[in-house]
Amino acid sequence: MNTKWVGKRVKRIDGPEKVTGELKYMTDYHFDNMVWGKVLRSEYPHAKINSIDIEAAKNLPGVICVLTHKDIPGFNGFGIVVPDQPVLCSDVVRCTGDAVALVAAETLEIAEQALSLIKVDYEPLEVVADAEYALRDSAPKLHPDGNLHSHVKINNGNIEKAFEEADIIVENTFYSPRQMHAFIETEGGWGVMDDEGFLTIRCPGQYAYRDRMQIARSLAYNPERIRVISSPIGGAFGGKDEITVQIYLSLLALHTKGRPVKIHLSREESVIAGIKRHPFKVQMKTAAKKDGTLLANQVKAIGDTGAYASLGGAVIALAIEHSCGPYKIPNVDLEGFCVYTNNGIAGAFRGFGVNQVCMGIETHMDMIAEKLGMDPIELRKKNVYHQGEVSSVGHIVKSSVGTYKTLETAENCELWKNREKYKSEVSEPWKKRGVSVATSFHGIGMGIGLPDYGAASIELLPDGTFLVGVGCEEIGGGNSTAYAQIAAEMLNCDISNIKIVQGDTQKTLDGGTVTASRSTYTGGRAVAAAAPRMTELLIQTAAEMLNLDSSQIDLKPNHISAHGEIIPYKSIYKYLYNHHRATRVEGHFYLPKEKEEIKGSGGAPHHLYGYLTHVVMVEVDTLTGETEVLRVVSIPDAGKVINPQGLEGQTEGGAVMGIGYTLYEDVLIENGYHKTRNFTDYIIPTIRETPLIETFPVEEPEQSGPFGAKGIGEVVMIPIIAAIMSAIYDATGARIRHLPATPERVFNALKDLKKQKVQSSR
Amino acid sequence: MLVSEIDMITPSSLSECLMQLSKEGRIHRLIAGGTDAAVRMKEGKWRPEIWINIKNLNELRYIQESEDCIYIGPLTTHKDIIYSPLLQRKADVLVDAAREVGATQMQNMGTIGGNIGTASPAGDTLPALYVLGARLELTSLSTKRIIPIEEFILGPGRTVLKENEMITKILIKSQKPNEIGIFQKLGPRKAQSISIVNVAISLTLDQDLKCREGKIAFGSVAPTIIRARKCESMLSLGTINDELIRNIAKIAWKEVMPISDGRATATYRRDMASALLERGLYRLIRRWDNQ
Ligand SMILES: Cc1cc2nc3c(=O)[nH]c(=O)nc-3n(C[C@H](O)[C@H](O)[C@H](O)COP(=O)(O)OP(=O)(O)OC[C@H]3O[C@@H](n4cnc5c(N)ncnc54)[C@H](O)[C@@H]3O)c2cc1C
Repeated sequence: MNTKWVGKRVKRIDGPEKVTGELKYMTDYHFDNMVWGKVLRSEYPHAKINSIDIEAAKNLPGVICVLTHKDIPGFNGFGIVVPDQPVLCSDVVRCTGDAVALVAAETLEIAEQALSLIKVDYEPLEVVADAEYALRDSAPKLHPDGNLHSHVKINNGNIEKAFEEADIIVENTFYSPRQMHAFIETEGGWGVMDDEGFLTIRCPGQYAYRDRMQIARSLAYNPERIRVISSPIGGAFGGKDEITVQIYLSLLALHTKGRPVKIHLSREESVIAGIKRHPFKVQMKTAAKKDGTLLANQVKAIGDTGAYASLGGAVIALAIEHSCGPYKIPNVDLEGFCVYTNNGIAGAFRGFGVNQVCMGIETHMDMIAEKLGMDPIELRKKNVYHQGEVSSVGHIVKSSVGTYKTLETAENCELWKNREKYKSEVSEPWKKRGVSVATSFHGIGMGIGLPDYGAASIELLPDGTFLVGVGCEEIGGGNSTAYAQIAAEMLNCDISNIKIVQGDTQKTLDGGTVTASRSTYTGGRAVAAAAPRMTELLIQTAAEMLNLDSSQIDLKPNHISAHGEIIPYKSIYKYLYNHHRATRVEGHFYLPKEKEEIKGSGGAPHHLYGYLTHVVMVEVDTLTGETEVLRVVSIPDAGKVINPQGLEGQTEGGAVMGIGYTLYEDVLIENGYHKTRNFTDYIIPTIRETPLIETFPVEEPEQSGPFGAKGIGEVVMIPIIAAIMSAIYDATGARIRHLPATPERVFNALKDLKKQKVQSSR
Repeated sequence: MLVSEIDMITPSSLSECLMQLSKEGRIHRLIAGGTDAAVRMKEGKWRPEIWINIKNLNELRYIQESEDCIYIGPLTTHKDIIYSPLLQRKADVLVDAAREVGATQMQNMGTIGGNIGTASPAGDTLPALYVLGARLELTSLSTKRIIPIEEFILGPGRTVLKENEMITKILIKSQKPNEIGIFQKLGPRKAQSISIVNVAISLTLDQDLKCREGKIAFGSVAPTIIRARKCESMLSLGTINDELIRNIAKIAWKEVMPISDGRATATYRRDMASALLERGLYRLIRRWDNQ
């Protein structure tokens, strides 16, 4: 297709103001009459609350209000799926992130002082510090229904028979870290209520309409009298999908007499109270035939969701759906447990459970390849499912599947072809290099059981430009530019004539979340649905203005022409305005879904998946155990690429986030208390840990998507995890099964390896 | 003490600064680049009544040589050190160490006086200063004394500095042409990281790679910087080759007494003392060969 904007390297429309710092994020604002809000967090990871005494705090000069659970007009709870997290705890605290009271004061310091004056009488209870322990009968029950939040299962074929018949079986246990989103902008925002009781909340989030619903539920307040503005966002990655501080802001705004109240978490508070990625223990057993055909996979995954559910159940379900990789394994026995503990709170995070299982299946693919003496790419190519084939979870995949092509591209990329040469070029004698490959996939959209729709509006503005409104927030990933490209393409105008508004319950339609790799696909489709209505409006109006038939009207770039006459859009706007007619159109879209849910799977399968293969080269310093990633090749199948530059933003950012997950990052919690406090001890990659990253998209167009596009925002960080683990093995012979692969862990694995060698040579 | 209650004064000369330091009956603390001070203030650890801001005392920002001694002003930044041709030639190990402090922002703001003043066991310039035989000039309104850096630092964050004193000069011996040094750091990542272990090495070498004198100082493996005397004495056992390097490195773990913390276990730190010494000596000899 001949396009002017779609598929082109279009600069980000929000780029200049972001890189110059001109853009003010919501937490950057200050107002003259503002007050500061603070949250009192629990002292204990698990305790009974006997009493809360706020008198002294209330009497501190400068304090405006002190609120507890008693001040919640509506429902004292929130949570996307099950609202099991108290807004303010009344009887029990279940993690040190739990909120017990709120304060608003003239200054931040006074608010902090006030917190220290609130006396909470706690009775410490036994701490559930481990997910497996939580499942024992003897463990204290953290919620009325016990500690097992959800349990999902997928079974196919005959697993016992398959293991009996197998020529080769590999079996391992993998542990993954509690990754932090580490967005630059910590959780925070503003709340203000006007004289007429209209509440405005400005708070970065990933779904303004759902945030509004959760606020309304706790305030027992008409949602139509609440406006939530949730975009732009200084990074989220899933960490702002759940309610962060919106309800606190709303409660305080009820008591600040019309003055705006601000909450902005310190990094330390964000570490403790913000949601994290679920740490998993994954036991996996995989069987294959001599010729490399995969026969069976057995998986038992336990995810630690911490004190509350948030999206934990969905995370485990997605993990299980993806636990066999993009392969067709006929016999599977897959089981996942989502478990409550007192370890902070876990929830949505880019990858959504797939990261934790991909490292298992992809490590097993490499182990099988090695045992069979097969090329690891050959083995994968042999086992991948193609469009129209049955996946490991047993459904026919009807949407586009690019895995095979990504593997072919990997095979032919320069790094893979010359890997032996590169591996021999170590920079110092004690260093060793390895090159490895891994592949993965990721569902797009919500899966079965949840409504999944997109919506967009396009408005003709007085100056003849267009305002495109999409509910999905600009989370930093660049969807605003994609929407502008699609709109400019279809309205046949310059991209500078498109303005975008996102994430505002007053200005945009409800179009679902910015999660599940869905926003370019869903929002883009909605824009593409609205655009023809706008062109129709333009043409019809012009025809009416000129008294012509609409077939005689031509839509030219930025104007309309008919019979040699030129009508600028400005004039069309004026005409519509003068005739009191609508200048705004809407587009709606419902995501295609599978008809039947796999029983017990918690929402599998998805209709659509994005696919990606990574090739990486690492160098391990065998003296210290340090691993450096030297090169990354990222080969996505995102369907049609709307903006190659935007795609590279995702593949590069995703690769670095994957490097962080594999080598550095973990929020350490001991007996319910955080050992990791801030960025002093939470190590994320810097530019010096960022290697050369190349991106080679294979475009397997998806018919249902806008211009053939699919989503890619999550899978970009997934296979690299397993690829780095395997590359460490390729370099040194040491297998790391417990992430992050810190220098100390790698060093100890090398030490063990040496010991084994000494023993076996005796 | 609330942060908003803390005052700050900015003396315009050294004598004015010393005058301020001599005032009694109040709690004050110097602030230079503030890269340690601001962090500790935020954490609630350092909350003096008054900050004495010396960042712009340019009379204390210099690098000079006289005879075979180099004088460094305490307000010299890490960037100043990295870009100093004099130090590059005659105090290479210090330049190496300054390069490893944080990253660009910290190197622009952070000063060598502040690094010494903080007296962290993980301070990166400290082992380099130890092997360069650094001495510190401590000045008050009425006194001046010069003491070796080993005697200045008492323990983590503890020094012999009196309330009314400040560091006014750092003195190191210029390296001779046959001296060469190197600094090695292991952190949890390459930039912006606190050392898990670091080591500074300075050797005086003969033509045939025999070591006449060597100094080795480890950081982050004890309450203060530790000189590895046993390893140092082994340096002069013969020509420095791969085998000698390995043998020296093997005993390094005996010289250190690290603790376990969130960053690493004591065992790993011990192993890393050996690893960094091996890596450092190897790289140092390479560097020597290339000169
Ligand atoms: C992100 C980050 C990364 C860092 N990375 C490293 C690193 O890799 N390696 C490392 O070693 N350090 C690191 N640091 C710590 C810090 O940057 C250094 O210690 C720096 O050299 C401190 O210098 P300063 O001028 O900022 O000291 P300040 O913070 O201004 O002062 C520190 C202390 O020294 C005292 N002081 C300052 N000047 C004098 C003087 N003339 N006489 C007496 N006392 C004085 C002050 O009173 C104070 O107690 C890091 C800090 C941060 C925030």
